[in-house]
Amino acid sequence: MHLHKYEKIWLLFGIGSLIVFLVVIGVGAFYKGTHPQSHMMTIDPENIEANEAFQPDNLGLTKVDDKQYIVNVAASAFNYDLGKNDDGSLVKKLSIPKGSTVLFQVTSKDVVHGFSLAGTNVNMMVEPGYISSYETILEEPGEYTLLCNEYCGTGHHLMGAIVEVTE
Amino acid sequence: MAGLPKKTDESSTQKKNPELKGTFISVMLLGVFIIVSWAGVYALFMSR
Repeated sequence: MHLHKYEKIWLLFGIGSLIVFLVVIGVGAFYKGTHPQSHMMTIDPENIEANEAFQPDNLGLTKVDDKQYIVNVAASAFNYDLGKNDDGSLVKKLSIPKGSTVLFQVTSKDVVHGFSLAGTNVNMMVEPGYISSYETILEEPGEYTLLCNEYCGTGHHLMGAIVEVTE
Repeated sequence: MAGLPKKTDESSTQKKNPELKGTFISVMLLGVFIIVSWAGVYALFMSR
């Protein structure tokens, strides 16, 4: 088979980049342990309280250790349930010290929601029946908007909260 | 049988390399664009 010199170059270039991309994915998946956010963790969407993480008392921010936090969130149209403040009002703002390792665990009671902490890598699809989780280290102090980025219905734009990373 | 030598003539002209410089440049520009965009997104992901 006759191949033009240039054809050989761009075929090698194309196959080479394909191999590079596949190796990057392979290293991410098998060495670094990257996986889809809802990683075979299932839950009954009609009875999320059956899972310890989503019992009303465990929702919202929980300090596990020094600089180690867990945020459990029950998403539903059109709200992120982050638990209740001491006075009984709904939590709409979380405060986390910078440099903390935070594990977000989110599930949905009804339809597909998004869970995006704008400006960070926390960006998940939240599906009923699955627990989506993502662990991150929040290094940059500031106010981050937590918002739904999957259209979930008429109140979609009202679905949000604030995560403040403090000094 | 008069057509036979003509046929060899045709195939010998086909073997001549076509001019692919422009194609080569466009293919490489597209490839570089894809790689630069990918690297940009990857860098953004790693830095956050």
